Amino acid sequence: MTLRVGMIGAGNMASVHAEGWVAAGDPIVGVLDPDTERAGRFSAAHGTDVVDDFLQLAASVDVVDICTPTHTHASYIGMAAEAGVDVVCEKPLARTGPDAMAAIAACDRAGVRLLVGHVVRFFPEYATARDLVALGDVGAVGVVRLDRSTYLPAGASAWFSDHAKSGGVVHDLMIHDVDYARWVAGDVERAYARRVADTSRGDHVLATLRHEGGAISHVQGSWAYPVGSFRTSLEIAGSDGLIVRHVAAPFVGSVSTTEHVPDVPEPPASSVESPYVTEIRHFSDVLQGRAEPRVTALDGARAVAVCDAIALSIETNRAVEAAR
Amino acid sequence: MIRVGIIGLAHVHAAGYASILNALEGVEFIGVSEPDDALRSRWAEASGREAFAEHRALIGAGIDAAIVCTATNEHRLVVEQLAAAGINVLCEKPLATTLEDARAIVRACDVADVLLMTAFPMRFSPPLIEGAAWIDEDRIGSVLAFTGTNNGCIPTDHAAWFADPVAAGGGAVMDHTVHLVDIMRWWLRSEPIEIFAETNRVMHPDAEVETGGILTVVFEDGVIATIDCSWSRPMGYPTWGGLTIEAVGTDGVFAVDAFAERLEMWSRGTATWLDWGSDPNRAMIGHFIGAIEGEHPLLVTGMDGFRATEAALAAYRSAEIGQPVRLEPLAPLPTER
Repeated sequence: MTLRVGMIGAGNMASVHAEGWVAAGDPIVGVLDPDTERAGRFSAAHGTDVVDDFLQLAASVDVVDICTPTHTHASYIGMAAEAGVDVVCEKPLARTGPDAMAAIAACDRAGVRLLVGHVVRFFPEYATARDLVALGDVGAVGVVRLDRSTYLPAGASAWFSDHAKSGGVVHDLMIHDVDYARWVAGDVERAYARRVADTSRGDHVLATLRHEGGAISHVQGSWAYPVGSFRTSLEIAGSDGLIVRHVAAPFVGSVSTTEHVPDVPEPPASSVESPYVTEIRHFSDVLQGRAEPRVTALDGARAVAVCDAIALSIETNRAVEAAR
Repeated sequence: MIRVGIIGLAHVHAAGYASILNALEGVEFIGVSEPDDALRSRWAEASGREAFAEHRALIGAGIDAAIVCTATNEHRLVVEQLAAAGINVLCEKPLATTLEDARAIVRACDVADVLLMTAFPMRFSPPLIEGAAWIDEDRIGSVLAFTGTNNGCIPTDHAAWFADPVAAGGGAVMDHTVHLVDIMRWWLRSEPIEIFAETNRVMHPDAEVETGGILTVVFEDGVIATIDCSWSRPMGYPTWGGLTIEAVGTDGVFAVDAFAERLEMWSRGTATWLDWGSDPNRAMIGHFIGAIEGEHPLLVTGMDGFRATEAALAAYRSAEIGQPVRLEPLAPLPTER
């Protein structure tokens, strides 16, 4: 059995997801993008039809995969729900927490499934660390440290730097680790964050999350790292143990390179299957009743709501309750 | 010869300082004083030398300088005695458990005109000195942010008082915040003006003090920093802990791991990390002795200890109310030396 997939958006992330659908054996039967030139390039690369009418595309597929700019996610999800097709949506689920909850409600009403692409849950080192936590190997989680530091996406992806559209580094990049922090330490009660914005590059945000049960997470999200760099790190300390993924060196300095770098930063590659492929294969399994979702739409909405709280904390310089 | 004694054996560093003093040229190590019988006999057993049972006896033996290694809440009493006797002081961190005591310590040494150095060995750590140079030379442009960690095992295996709310004045926040605040003040030449802290004791639910803590510190010049001061290294960790800082600037970034110069050894089921690099404690004590001999001014003073203590105490106020607190900009300060 296979799924017929309709790709919404034909940019960088659509190509990344397409690789996953190929691996899952699910044909992409059409692609829709307001930028017809980009849609044409995707169509040529993936042997699929360009469709310019959403309903026409929805009528011919089992699932739509939304890989558009963040601020358009919620309305595409609403349209898919109305058309009665299942939805895979790249993170963040929506631009704001309330929009995300409305999108979930629309899918619930229509009886369609909604899956959100929090790919970090599919990175082998992150998934393994979470498994160890779930097995109790570190005891009660006390302090979590997560870091995702890279450069501001450029070129055709310039909408990332439009705060109204992307939510900036918090909703676009830090949200990966916000979701992961919830996965390992429980839901977030309170957030406090500061941002450095006066860099010639992008924003740099340092956030502290307080979880139900008392754990504290330190989350660093940065678009202010030198162009060409992408650094992540992970540490989970508990009452009975510690999990660390890092590299030790006395002093490492780096400055921006002028060599060619990808417009959209690419996370450090692992030697195993691309986590995006793992993610899409998992979604295919879920939609065909072969697996339970590793990350739910509600998780996606909570991650956005916590990011909303982080953004409000930055704005008000107060610790902000992450309202449920 | 500079005659040096160690006041108190309560602090885990006392034994290490003693062996440095024994080996240091131009120094005559006079001995240690410790009122506690158990600590004193353990010292005698390990060193083969008797300790003075009273601090006054060591002071009376005629010393030019003392390293204070008592529990933190006893610092004030002994420093006041030392200062009154005209003895130069190198005091363990944090300087005190209250601002009032910290102020009294600085003032006493001021009035007596003796040197007061706070034991911040990281000022003498080569990779951190390299970080200072990178900032001085604007290698990463203007500094925007720091992410700092000073994590360790809960130090109660060394001495129970480290987790005693009265003797230590708190837990991980008191123990570890001061090092990073001091490094950042040194690098930036700017003071903290606002602090937010989340703390917990999830990792050691039986402790009377916080053992997990993450602080956000805003400096006067706008730099934003976080400090993870948690006792988050578990039992069986290969070493006591560590200290790292990452700096983000307008033109670049750098990362320092102050204890990365190590060998990692696995032997008979146990992992051990062995430092092979420079010894910041030795350099710190050497600097103190050099200052007494008039070779150079102190690079790190009692005022630096006061400022770091002030920041740690502000973190406790923030953790209590769950919101950021401003540091009193005009907190009455002892005169700068």
